[in-house]
This record gives sequence, C-alpha cells and structure tokens, in this order.
Amino acid sequence: MEIQVDTRGAATSGPFFEDAEGFNMPLAPDSANRRIPLGDFPTGPEVGSILPNIVATDQAGNTVDLHADRAGQPAVVVFYRSAVW
Amino acid sequence: MASYRESGVRLYAISYDEADALADYAAAHQATFTLLSDPDSEVIESFGILNTLIPPDEHPWYGIPFPGAYAIDGDGMVVAKFFEHNFAVRAGPEQMLAAALGQDFDVPASAEPVQKVTVEVAMDGEYLPMGVTRHLIATFRVPAGQHLYGAPVPDGLIAASIELDDIDGVLSYEPLAPPTSELTLSGSGETLQVYDGDVVLRLPVTQNARAMVKDDEGRHVIISGRVRWQACNDVECFLPESVPFSFRADAGFPVLGDMGPGEGRVPAMNGAAHFQKMIDRRTEQ
Repeated sequence: MEIQVDTRGAATSGPFFEDAEGFNMPLAPDSANRRIPLGDFPTGPEVGSILPNIVATDQAGNTVDLHADRAGQPAVVVFYRSAVW
Repeated sequence: MASYRESGVRLYAISYDEADALADYAAAHQATFTLLSDPDSEVIESFGILNTLIPPDEHPWYGIPFPGAYAIDGDGMVVAKFFEHNFAVRAGPEQMLAAALGQDFDVPASAEPVQKVTVEVAMDGEYLPMGVTRHLIATFRVPAGQHLYGAPVPDGLIAASIELDDIDGVLSYEPLAPPTSELTLSGSGETLQVYDGDVVLRLPVTQNARAMVKDDEGRHVIISGRVRWQACNDVECFLPESVPFSFRADAGFPVLGDMGPGEGRVPAMNGAAHFQKMIDRRTEQ
C-alpha cells in the first residue's frame, strides 16, 4: 500500500497551520508529528477476525495478557500516539 | 469510565511510551483503565499499523501507530474499528462502548406502537470537544406494515438519512447504518434496500473550533440539520418527509499533556522530562 502524505493546507502561513478540515495547529502539515495520510492507510485486523493477543507491561509494571485479562468480557483497545506529547 | 465499568467492557490503551510515563499519566488523570507500554513498537508493528510516514531517524516521533481503536466482543472478535485519516480527529468513547456491547443499532423499547413514522435525534454525549467525534443518533419508529429505505435508492425514492446543515466548523463523517434487507418489486424486478420496522441511524460529528461560541455559560456549538425519509407499505409510498433538528452542545478543547502552559493542560505528569527521556533513549543507541 503506497501511502500518501496529506499536505493540503501546507500553503497556509504560520504560526498556525490549517489543515484540509479546518483544524488549526502550530505545526506545518509535513511535520513528522502531524504527518497524516491522504487516502488509504493500514488499519490492522479486519472486522470479523479475532484480535491478535497483546502481551505488554501496564502502568503498574505488571505484565498484562489482554485476552486472559479481560476474562471473556468485551473490550475496547485504543492505539494512540503518546501519553507524553 | 463509569459506563464502561458498569457494563463490564474493559478498556485498554496502548502506546509507545515507557511504563513509568504511563504511571505518571495515570496518576495525573486518575486513569482507572489499563495503559499498556509498547516502547519498541513491537505490538504496533505486529498489528501492521506503524506510522510509516515517519522515517526511523525522526526522533522521538518514529514508532507511533496510525491511531485508532478496535471494539471486540466477548470472544475477542473485532466488531468495529475506529480509524480516522486526520489524527486531529478521534472517536468518542460512547460509540466504542456501544459497538463493544453490540448495541449500536439497538432500538430502545417503546410503550406504544406508532400510527405514522416518528423520529427522535440525540447526541451520544453532552459535550463535544474539538476533534472528538460524537454520534448523532436518529431513532425512527415505523408503523407495522411500513418500511423505510437504505441507500442506495433509485430515483424518486428517499433513503432514511441524517443530514447536517452547512455550518462552518462542524464536520461529519461516513454515516453508519444497520444492514438492510432486500425487497424485490414484482413489477419491475428492481431490488430495493429496506429497513423493516424501527431503525437507528448514526452520523459521526465533531467540530474544529471555528463553530465554537463563548458566552457567560462557557463554550458551545449549535448542531443543526434535518432527518429525511420516505415510508412505503406493500401497496403505496407516502410523501417524503423532512424534520429539522437543532441543539446546543457544550464544547471545548480536548485535555492536553503538560508540555507547556495553556488551557486544559494537566500540569502533573512531568511530561517534559519524559519527552526528553524518549529522545535520549532513541538517540543514544
């Protein structure tokens, strides 16, 4: 999948840059931390498939096995950029 | 978060942060859900959602995912995905909870059968922060023996839909609808997509701050539009109908980290120090 960078709005001048949907940010659209795809981009496991298991460390330092931890309950799993920035 | 707890739906949020940064974040925000640490982006890569628009030498941005979320049922099956092309936009928690519970198109119980089609429009949250989507939910109640149409419809018929007015700063995305059933007309042999009985439609909306108005009661946006439909029974179709809706939603900016001063920022998680640590770890190798 060839992923294009969405540079629409790059022509607006700083200090605030407006993207194609009118969101204003102090970052040019080609900044790494604001670079967004134009058109298709990968979104991982498909609807109807089993979510691959995740084993990772939680905020308390414990190892969490997601499918075991949720103990048969439904869940929402969010992938986000960072809790720091 | 209370609604997740009460309904038994677990919430996990995974990022490329170190576990100690997640501990500080959880303390600053009183987060009671599970934050997972993927500092080498191994899980992100295994899901195939590494943001490849960022080259590996751009520190510390490299390693983040194309952001999004999955709702899974009790068997672990993905029942809905929430990915937006614009990273300034993300799905609100209400719609993800409804999907995980399989209730996103449930029609609330009603006391009385209706004599003609009625519709109610509501938003699935009280508050509309910039860039967070809420769903406008239209609940159509349809008399026995009548049906509504889903898109696509042939010329001359009107599909049931929610349409927003053109308001600068209010954005909408792909509408969501339950599956239709097929109705083949005996005369022409044409096949139509129909909703038999009551139906719920959803339209994701958000705002980009231009529509926000600030007054003595705080910031708000006006969301307005109309719901359209056309009802038919086996013999005839009734005239298309259109009902306007308009309501005021409290609005504001999403909560940001503590990288600097500013409205809505939470000055308690030591973000600048964690940020420096992220850079150091990635550049010292």
